Amino acid sequence: MINFLLEKYLDILPKSLWVTTCNSGSCNGCDIEIVATISPRYDIERFGMKLVGTPRHADVLIVTGPVTRYMRDRLLRIYNQMPDPKAVVVVGNCGASGDVFYKSYNLDGPVDRIIPVDVYVHGCPPRPEAIIEGVAKAVLKLESLKEGNQKKAGEAVS
Amino acid sequence: MFGTVYTGFGYWDVTSWILFFGIAAGLTLWLRAQGRDDYKEGTDQDEIYWSGNVVPEDGEDISVPASSAYWGFRKALEPYYNRLIGMHTGIATDIVGFYVLVVAFMAVFILIA
Repeated sequence: MINFLLEKYLDILPKSLWVTTCNSGSCNGCDIEIVATISPRYDIERFGMKLVGTPRHADVLIVTGPVTRYMRDRLLRIYNQMPDPKAVVVVGNCGASGDVFYKSYNLDGPVDRIIPVDVYVHGCPPRPEAIIEGVAKAVLKLESLKEGNQKKAGEAVS
Repeated sequence: MFGTVYTGFGYWDVTSWILFFGIAAGLTLWLRAQGRDDYKEGTDQDEIYWSGNVVPEDGEDISVPASSAYWGFRKALEPYYNRLIGMHTGIATDIVGFYVLVVAFMAVFILIA
């Protein structure tokens, strides 16, 4: 009921963003920077965001890594397990383009070949501020979904 | 039949019990209603999250048994455990037999003492 009133009369997202992550074959560099965003220095909980351990509760999926063959089905399943509306943020050059692993024999990625991506955050690894900005931009995607202007798959906000 | 029972620390009666059951049930249902209900039933959104894997029919193949944590302990006491495990057949008559034996030993010691 409260959610309905917030959406109808205040025209805002009824809840803060909850974020889950999927390492699709990353070297862990980006994942360490993601963990840094919840540390006291960067503190994404200031914005109501928090990392959750399951896609079933998440609004935003952060993907790191260039998507190895082994992780393809798992990434797809995790994406499909998130309730709608949802947004995908790719963190790091590997997930965005494959980077130095581009066209490697064991890759099925980059990420946008597997699932629709909304925000790309570049860097190797990106700074925590950039990751926070990327997730904040996912709000635009979710708000646009709320207004019924669903963005096409793969269309990036940034 | 529906009287109040005084325990010395408080009391118990049917009316209070039903009242507090109702309050607890109401709270529980309210908490449950706060969860997301916008998932699509019959899709992957309805499935159990198993780190992205297909949920196995039998988890034994991919799970690590708790006994692994005691591997060194069990290895060190292997003769003792082998004998114990050998004695545990899982047959009810064997268990009752052990029970009778232990009671018999205890009775003998008590009678002698």
